[in-house]
Amino acid sequence: MAEATGWLLDVYAEEDGITLWLLTDDDKRLCLRMDFDITFYAAGDFGLLRQAWIYLKEKDVRLERTIRRDLFLGERDVMAVTTSNPAGLQKLFGELQRQFPSLDYYDADIPITLRFIAQTNTHLLGRCHVRFDEKWIQSIEPLSSPWEIDPTPIPLRILTLAPDCNPAIRKPKQLHVKYGQREYSLSLDLPRLFMIGLKADLQRLDPDLILTDYGDTWLFPQLSTWSEETGIELNPNRDEHRQVLTRKADSYFAYGQVTYRGVQSYLFGRWHIDRRNAMSFGEYGLEGAMEQARVTGIGVQEMARKSPGAGITAMQMLTALGNGIMVPVQKQQVEGTKTLSELIRADHGGLIYQPLIGLHGDVAQIDFSSMYPAIMVKHNISPETVGFDKLNPAGLENAPEGLIPKTLRPLLEKRLMLKNILSDLNPRDCRVEILKARAAALKWLLVVCFGYLGYKNARFGKIESHEAVTAMSRELMLQAKEVAEDMGFTVLHMYVDCLFVQQEGFRKPSDFTPLMNAIEEKTGIPIALEGVFKWVAFLASKRDARVPVPNQYFGVFQDGMLKYRGIELRRRDTTTWVRKIQLAVLEVLARANTPHEFANRIPEVMALVERAKRELRTGRVSLEELIVRQKLSRTLDGYKSPSPAARAALQLQTKGRQLAPGQSMEFLFACNASGVHAWELEEALDPGRLDTKRYFRLLDRAIRTVLDPCRPLLVPERLL
Amino acid sequence: MGRTVITITQQLNETESMLSPFRRTLRRSDQYVFDGLFAAARRHIAAIGQAESLLPFESALLAMLLEQSKEIAVLQQKIEELIKKNSC
Repeated sequence: MAEATGWLLDVYAEEDGITLWLLTDDDKRLCLRMDFDITFYAAGDFGLLRQAWIYLKEKDVRLERTIRRDLFLGERDVMAVTTSNPAGLQKLFGELQRQFPSLDYYDADIPITLRFIAQTNTHLLGRCHVRFDEKWIQSIEPLSSPWEIDPTPIPLRILTLAPDCNPAIRKPKQLHVKYGQREYSLSLDLPRLFMIGLKADLQRLDPDLILTDYGDTWLFPQLSTWSEETGIELNPNRDEHRQVLTRKADSYFAYGQVTYRGVQSYLFGRWHIDRRNAMSFGEYGLEGAMEQARVTGIGVQEMARKSPGAGITAMQMLTALGNGIMVPVQKQQVEGTKTLSELIRADHGGLIYQPLIGLHGDVAQIDFSSMYPAIMVKHNISPETVGFDKLNPAGLENAPEGLIPKTLRPLLEKRLMLKNILSDLNPRDCRVEILKARAAALKWLLVVCFGYLGYKNARFGKIESHEAVTAMSRELMLQAKEVAEDMGFTVLHMYVDCLFVQQEGFRKPSDFTPLMNAIEEKTGIPIALEGVFKWVAFLASKRDARVPVPNQYFGVFQDGMLKYRGIELRRRDTTTWVRKIQLAVLEVLARANTPHEFANRIPEVMALVERAKRELRTGRVSLEELIVRQKLSRTLDGYKSPSPAARAALQLQTKGRQLAPGQSMEFLFACNASGVHAWELEEALDPGRLDTKRYFRLLDRAIRTVLDPCRPLLVPERLL
Repeated sequence: MGRTVITITQQLNETESMLSPFRRTLRRSDQYVFDGLFAAARRHIAAIGQAESLLPFESALLAMLLEQSKEIAVLQQKIEELIKKNSC
C-alpha cells in the first residue's frame, strides 16, 4: 500500500465515488479515487413516504427508516436514501422531487466538498496523509485545521494568461503569458501555431492554477472554437477525462444592485480563476479566495466567483452536518405574526445618528470590532434561539449554543487574531499584504452572515434573529454614548458600530484608552481605536445646508493618513480625472493641522483646480481618465428616459453588441446628439467633441464637497 | 432593503410632501423657516426612530421644539454675555 502527504487541492463527484487531487510534499500531483456514499432524507406524510419507498426500490439505492434532527422541528421520522453514485445524485433527487413534491427533503443539495469534509474532517487546501492502493484511498487523515492562523503555504504553480486588450472592444493580437519570473507573449495571428504553443506550455509547466483576464468570457470559449477549427485538441483540464465545465452568464439582484456575471469556465484537477469575472477578487485576491475556500469548504474556483453569502451558507451546512442536524432543501421558517406596534418596534436597522455639521479638531473614531457577529456569538442569537421573549431580543439564556454562533465563533476568533497580528507588524513587513487579504476575506464572510439571517431564501435564516441583532446593536451603541457622555466627551457622530468623540485637551491615542475600557466593560464587545483625526468634516445635505448627512465625511488622522466616506472619491461612477483632483485637493487640505488652518489652504486649492481645468481645456488630459462608468440597471427597453449609460449601450447595440442588466458601461460625455460616446465603439471620439463643460461641472461639484466645511453657515455648531 | 415598515426618513419625506399645499401658500420668507422646522426634525431621526411611536410625527414635533429651545438658550446666553460686557 502506498502513502502520501500533502495539500488537498480539489474534490469532485464521479459515478463510482469521488476524485481527489493531492499536491504532495515531493511536488507531485496525485489523482486519487475514493468510495463515497451519499445519504439524503425525506420526511412528511407516511402514506407518501411509503409510495416514495416503493418508487425508489427500483433504483440503485439503499433505503432505511431512521430518526434525524430538524433544527426547528426537533427529531423527525425520516426515510434515508443512500447512493454510491455521487455524480448521479442531482438526477435521482430531481426525479424524486418531481414525483413527490410535497415531501420535505434534507441534505439533498449539499456540495460534494462539504460532504467530504464532514465525513473525513479533511479540509480543502489543508494538509493530509493518505494511504492508497492502486489509486483508491484506503484511509485519509487530516494534518491541519482550517482555523490555523499561519497555514503552511502551498507551493502552487501559477500560470497567468492575459490578452493584450479587452476582447469586448478589440480583437486581441497577443496573449501575455507569465510563469514565475518568466514572461512572454504568444501571437494570436495564426490560431494553429497559437494552439500548438499553448498546448506545449500547458504540458511542460503543468500549472495548478490558470489565472486569466477574460478567461471565462473569451479565452476558454475561444480555445474551444479554435480547437474545432484547427483540429488540434487542447484540453486545459489536468483530469484528461473531463471537459471544461461551462456555466451560463446571468444577471441577478443582490445587495441592492443588479450584478452581471459572465459565462464561467471551470477546470478539473487544476483551477481556473478569471480575475475579470471573480466577484471579490479585486478586494482580496488569490490569498483571500484561498482563505475563504479553506474555511468554507467550497472549492477555490467557485469561491472566487461566488458571493460571500454562498460561503457562509456552506459554513452553516458544515456546522449542521457536524452536529447531526439535517439541512433543509428549502427554507421552512416564515416571519412570525406581530401586532403593528410590535412590528414597528422590531423592524429597525442599526443606529445611525445625524452628525454635527462642520469641521471638528482632535476627534477620535472608535469602532466595535466585528460588532454584529460578536453580538450573535455573545448573546447566542440564532434562528432557533430567538423570538421566545418579545421583550428581550437576545437568544434564550442557558440554551445550548445556536447553529449561527457555533459557525461564527471560530471565524470571529480567527479574524481578531489576524487583526492583532497585523497591528503588531511593521507596515512594511512582507506578510502584511497577505494577512490583510486574508482578514478582509474573513470580514466579508462575517458581514454577510448578518444579512443572511434575514434573507428570504437562507435555509437557516429567520427575520426575528436578524432583528434581534440590530436591536442589541442599538442598545449597545446607546450604552456606549452614555458612557462617553458620563466621562465628559461630546459624541459628534455614531454610525452603526462606530463613534466619533471629542473632548477639550484629549489628543493622544492613549487619552481615549480609559473611555474604550469603560465601553468594553459596559457592553462586553471589544472596541478599538481607528485613530485620532487632526480634523474631520461632517457634511451637510446638498439640498438643505441645515440637514446633516450621516455617511459623508472626510478627515485626516494624526499620522497624515486621509479617510473619506461617501464623497465623489469613493463613488464608482466618478471619473479618474475628478477623483485624482479631489484627492490632490484633500492632500493639500491635509496639511492643515487644525480646523482654523483649513481656510488658509483654499487659495492653493483654487490654483490647483484652475490648473486642472486648463489642462482639460487644452487637451492635455488623456481620454481614459475621463471615462465614466455606470451600470445598466435594467434591459434597454425598460428605460423611460434613458440614462447616459443606457444611451451609450444603445450606441453599442446598433453595432450588434448584446448587453444585459448589471453590465458596466464605459462612456465619455460628448457634444453630440446623445450626449455620450460609448468607450467600446470602434471609432474613437474626436477630442474636440468632448463635452468639457459637463466635466467642469462634475469637477466643481467634487470641489464644493470638500470646501463645504468652510462655508460661513457651517461654522462648527455646538451642543449646549 | 428588506424592511416592512418605512423608515423615519421616508415618513418625514411623506409628511413634508403631504404638507406641500400648506407650504406653497406661505410667503417665501416663511417657507424658508418652515423648511428649517423639518431640517430640525431631521437632525434627530435616530431619536425619533428609537421612540418606536405609531405616530412618529409627534416625536418629530418634539425634535423641532428641542432645536428651537436650543436656539433660544444660545441667544439667551449671548444676551447675558452682552449685558455683562456693557455693564463692565
